[in-house]
Amino acid sequence: MGAERKAENNESRWKLSLDSWAVVVALLAALLIRAGVFKHIPW
Amino acid sequence: MADVVTVPQVQPVQPALRFLRVIPGVLLLGAIGYAGKLLEQNVGAYAKAHHWTFPNIEYVLWAIVLGLAISNTVGVPEIFRSGVATYEFWLKAGIVLLGARFLLGDILKLGGVSLVLVAIEIVGSLAFMTFLGRLFKLKPKLTTLLAVGSAVCGVSAIIATKGAIEADDEDSSFSIAAILALGALALFTFPVIGHFLHLSDRAYGLWAGLGVDNTAEATAAGALYSDAAGKLAVLVKSTRNAMIGFVVLAYAIYWASKGQAQAVGNKAAFLWQKFPKFVLGFLLISVLATYHFFNKDQVGALANLSRWAFLLTFAGVGLRTNFRDMRKQGLRPFAVGAIGEVAIAVFTLGLVIGAEKIFGF
Repeated sequence: MGAERKAENNESRWKLSLDSWAVVVALLAALLIRAGVFKHIPW
Repeated sequence: MADVVTVPQVQPVQPALRFLRVIPGVLLLGAIGYAGKLLEQNVGAYAKAHHWTFPNIEYVLWAIVLGLAISNTVGVPEIFRSGVATYEFWLKAGIVLLGARFLLGDILKLGGVSLVLVAIEIVGSLAFMTFLGRLFKLKPKLTTLLAVGSAVCGVSAIIATKGAIEADDEDSSFSIAAILALGALALFTFPVIGHFLHLSDRAYGLWAGLGVDNTAEATAAGALYSDAAGKLAVLVKSTRNAMIGFVVLAYAIYWASKGQAQAVGNKAAFLWQKFPKFVLGFLLISVLATYHFFNKDQVGALANLSRWAFLLTFAGVGLRTNFRDMRKQGLRPFAVGAIGEVAIAVFTLGLVIGAEKIFGF
């Protein structure tokens, strides 16, 4: 039981918050634009 | 051999399944947002072609109104709910990408001014809401939640504080409902007052960032006025959001000292845990843009991507606002919130007008 809780704690320690996911996704998108994968985003 | 006890377990939702579950709602956000964009383009052109006098209504308002109409008539079916809840994610991603349109110098200059105003606004709002809560004999923790929600950053601040001061679920849903209802009202009243007072884009953006509580509503209220006002509202609101950790920490220590919440162990870890990470992402993109990591076309592409993310957010703001649910939450917390919000709106308007005269922006 203790080991399970420890594993759960370890797992949740590595879980990203919604905030952090938004930053990761936005930075990834910015890098893809910088790398020229997406050349033009229309509006 | 020991007996085997079978404990019913809740199976964790697989990431792939979780991803599939959000797709319908995200598509709904996209459809409503895009419909708003088409309405902005076509209604104006149609009115012009028929020589009608019709105000130019931005996609922001169309998307919110369409979302509100669905939410308050047919309601949002269960299948769409997980996806609609992602609007917060799009908001934060959009703010990070918006960093490309700010040069570091602008952030330091405007951020410096807004930091002073934000500090005054937070202290003034916390003091006034606490006074009102006592006057209306609200429960002390409910007063704390309403005060933090109005002073710092709406729903996120209430959720962060609820955990730290061990407030009841009922108190937090009261406060969230009051803040959301008042945010929805601010969305429609702020631009009208701004135009009535002929506020400049900068003054209005500052006011929206200081006076509107929830980040999504502050972003929308700014964008409803003008693009420049929207940019500034996001900057000021992000400065306010950055203060969340300090305010929550102060309240956590206060309630722990009264023996009504757990003591805070590592204060630095507490601050980092509560700090909104999207503010760091916004600053990072802005630093990269300042040092020409992106060329002009790429900055344009990032700005457009940010607009698409906000488009989904605005649709979500409308869809998650249900006036019937809000009415169920009771009148007293709403009355305290409403009186407080009006006072804070007037107070922050005075601050902005004063700052405009002093700093001459």
